[in-house]
Amino acid sequence: MDTLKVRDARDVEQVVRAAIANQQPLEIIGHGSKRMVGRPMATNALLDLSALNAVKSYEPNELIITVEAGAPLADVKLLIDSKNQQFAFEPMDTALLLGTPAAGTIGGMIGAGLAGPRRIQAGGVRDHLLGAQAVSGFGDSFKAGGRVVKNVTGYDLCKLLAGSWGTLAVMTEVTLKVMPRPESERTLVLRRLDDVAANKAMTAALGSPFDVSGAAHVPKSALRDATGALGDLGSPKNALTLLRLEGITASAADRAASLARALSRFGTAEILEDEGSAAAWRCVRDVESFAAKGPLGAWPVWRIVCPPAAGGALGERLARETGGDVLYDWGGGLIWAAMPPRPDAQAQLVRQRAAAAGGHAMLLRAPDEVRSRIDVFHPASDGVAALSERLRQSFDPKGILNRGRMTRPGASSGSAA
Amino acid sequence: MTIMMPAPDQAVLARRSAIIEALRAIVPGEGVIDTPAEMLPYESDGLMAYRQPPMVVVLPDTTEQVSHVLKYCFEQGIKVVPRGSGTSLSGGALPLADAVLLGLGKFKRIREIDFDNRAVVTEPGVTNLAISQAVAHAGFYYAPDPSSQIACSIGGNVAENSGGVHCLKYGMTTNNVLGCEIVLMTGEVLRIGGKTAESAGYDLMGIITGSEGLLGVITEITVRILQKPETARALMVGFAQVEAAGECVAQIIGAGIIPGGMEMMDKPAIHAAEAFVHAGYPLDIEALLIIELDGPAVEVDELIKRVEALAQGCGSTTCQISNSEVERNLFWAGRKAAFPAVGRISPDYLCMDGTIPRGALPKALARIRDLSQKYGLRVANVFHAGDGNLHPLILYDANQPGEMERAEAFGADILRACVEFGGVLTGEHGVGIEKRDLMGEMFSEIDLNQQQRIKCAFDAQGLLNPGKVFPTLHRCAELGRMHVHGGKLAFPDLPRF
Repeated sequence: MDTLKVRDARDVEQVVRAAIANQQPLEIIGHGSKRMVGRPMATNALLDLSALNAVKSYEPNELIITVEAGAPLADVKLLIDSKNQQFAFEPMDTALLLGTPAAGTIGGMIGAGLAGPRRIQAGGVRDHLLGAQAVSGFGDSFKAGGRVVKNVTGYDLCKLLAGSWGTLAVMTEVTLKVMPRPESERTLVLRRLDDVAANKAMTAALGSPFDVSGAAHVPKSALRDATGALGDLGSPKNALTLLRLEGITASAADRAASLARALSRFGTAEILEDEGSAAAWRCVRDVESFAAKGPLGAWPVWRIVCPPAAGGALGERLARETGGDVLYDWGGGLIWAAMPPRPDAQAQLVRQRAAAAGGHAMLLRAPDEVRSRIDVFHPASDGVAALSERLRQSFDPKGILNRGRMTRPGASSGSAA
Repeated sequence: MTIMMPAPDQAVLARRSAIIEALRAIVPGEGVIDTPAEMLPYESDGLMAYRQPPMVVVLPDTTEQVSHVLKYCFEQGIKVVPRGSGTSLSGGALPLADAVLLGLGKFKRIREIDFDNRAVVTEPGVTNLAISQAVAHAGFYYAPDPSSQIACSIGGNVAENSGGVHCLKYGMTTNNVLGCEIVLMTGEVLRIGGKTAESAGYDLMGIITGSEGLLGVITEITVRILQKPETARALMVGFAQVEAAGECVAQIIGAGIIPGGMEMMDKPAIHAAEAFVHAGYPLDIEALLIIELDGPAVEVDELIKRVEALAQGCGSTTCQISNSEVERNLFWAGRKAAFPAVGRISPDYLCMDGTIPRGALPKALARIRDLSQKYGLRVANVFHAGDGNLHPLILYDANQPGEMERAEAFGADILRACVEFGGVLTGEHGVGIEKRDLMGEMFSEIDLNQQQRIKCAFDAQGLLNPGKVFPTLHRCAELGRMHVHGGKLAFPDLPRF
């Protein structure tokens, strides 16, 4: 398969135009760290953006950074970290879960739209993408959004680009909002709660005025072989419920104490500070418990998003019915579920349960043959599926970009339940 | 009128009585309004310089009725203009002579309050403030707070992606809505999102929010609610130069402090506001900053000290710090009344809404001063300084021949300057008809064609709110045409692996 390494937006236009003329669908890659996510694609050439990797401008006082889409996420994070700033949505590093070496590029981070624990407080990738230059499936470079936070000029195309897995346009340059990195963080650790009780504790915490920026629960089963920060904390292998508070030191400490008092009915909380807290949240963010190289590395992993207060009951039931392991982030609103391998990754059961709880499920990790057999992304209702397809075609009528990654071509879009 | 709207379809106008009869069959009783006197309140929205009686007003009160009205209009090729409370400042709800004005004012019920999931499910006609009031007893509120919040509807907020003084820290409407029920022009009813942090597939809620009533009619919205911060305190800081105030704003943000709100007023705005509400604003300064910090008391007290020190370092000449809610509200009273206050010193005013990078503030103010001289019109400036959103108020008298046109030309020049300085045409008021013809300043034809193709995916006949947002209307078939650039090796020198 041809790999076409582009040097600038003009190259991208040329490649896409040639692909249209030759009816040759393209797979869009940066570092290729998430290539095994989504349905296997019907493409026969690679459009490689990794050489489009410049930082175009970084203005800490404006809270914005403009970079080319192929810029390595790790480098950009180091750069903004040097000015005590961060991406507030806490982008997930999928390398551990998928067993790939690199953390990927900024373009991949946006295309995947996988936000970490702070999503409950700061929003997701879509909330921080201010503008983009991208090449559509028409082979034309277009502009979306702008370079300021407050902007309602025209349709908000950035929202569509975030989380579209490269199926709408090839982003070449993006402007992201950055935020000050909190001075301090504290994490309350509650032990031995079952999933439903932990869900209640997280709901109480998130309904408090203490501005909780992370609420996760790691059941006992998910800790059985845990290493790293969670493993250390989990000893002697009891469930952990984690609640994070960030801000200036006095405030984080004060709120941690207040929250511990407010949650005293759920047990006595230990408090982790700064580096210890950060290490625990990295494990949650990157789903270390289900790491590709860990004991559950061969199990398919579902990413289920549901109404947060429904998470505990849903996850507990899924674990029981499938013999799988679950862990919870976003106060219960995000469930990571690893399941014993089956040809269909138990899709029907997972989707039925998720939909009944008001949520949806995506199969983030599974072997190729499983991902080509089932819908990787949660099937939408007929009307929403048809609208989504019309929208996709408004960007890429010939299906040049990452063809077939999000939807099965010709699959009847049956209702979810 | 200086803005051209699509020419009325005479064939539709000729069928007016039959159309009214058909609509009465869908929405019985007083839900169809067709007399000139009763239609008068619907002739205009918050952009009051523009008026146009609609063909007929329809006020449905169920999703089913909305669906049937739209389906009927779709089949008959009749244009529809949706309307919430009619507070749009950009003419988003301006009627068309040959269009049905679809008012959502009867959708007034909050359907569900779910504290555990921190979500409220509401009908679109509920006011922004009513949502906060409905959850206040449990310490919650809905964060976006446009200054029209006592009147503006949440459906209109979604259509316009409304902001407010607190969106610096808490985001705009798009960052605070989770899902909706939307009726497409064909009458098809879709549910998007729900009580979940994100929805499956493409972010349809994201593209619907801020689409100015061009994509569909929203009949239900799920918003997220937040716990009220424990405390809030404000500083009121005066500066002898606008530049120093701008520098102070940059330094606060640069120091990693994101205030709940950070507002700036220039001298004319300060004087107008003080004369109106007597908030105790100092009058011998060029710029006033109101900076609100919220959170737990220990945090707010600490940040107040840091901000005060930064302000002094930037040469502030006065600094007051609120010690009570009464005082804090008094600091805000003048800012919140700035628009009516300016209304008292001038027969008419135009409120502009561009956004610039924060650092460009002094440059933008200098440009506005120059333009004020060039056009011979006074201007008072209020800004959401924290996020660079400018609201210059251009003072004019509509009774003086030519003044309104001059004011509009002045405003257009300000918005062009915003784009020139790296900003955008509108930060929170929307494009509507007001900035429609300036879209080319910011977007190329290719950019606008991509946006219009999205419109086509929702409304292929272009019947919903036509004449708004886009300066030129194209047929969907024309927009979808692909120009194939032949040649197998269009990139011969590209590295291959």
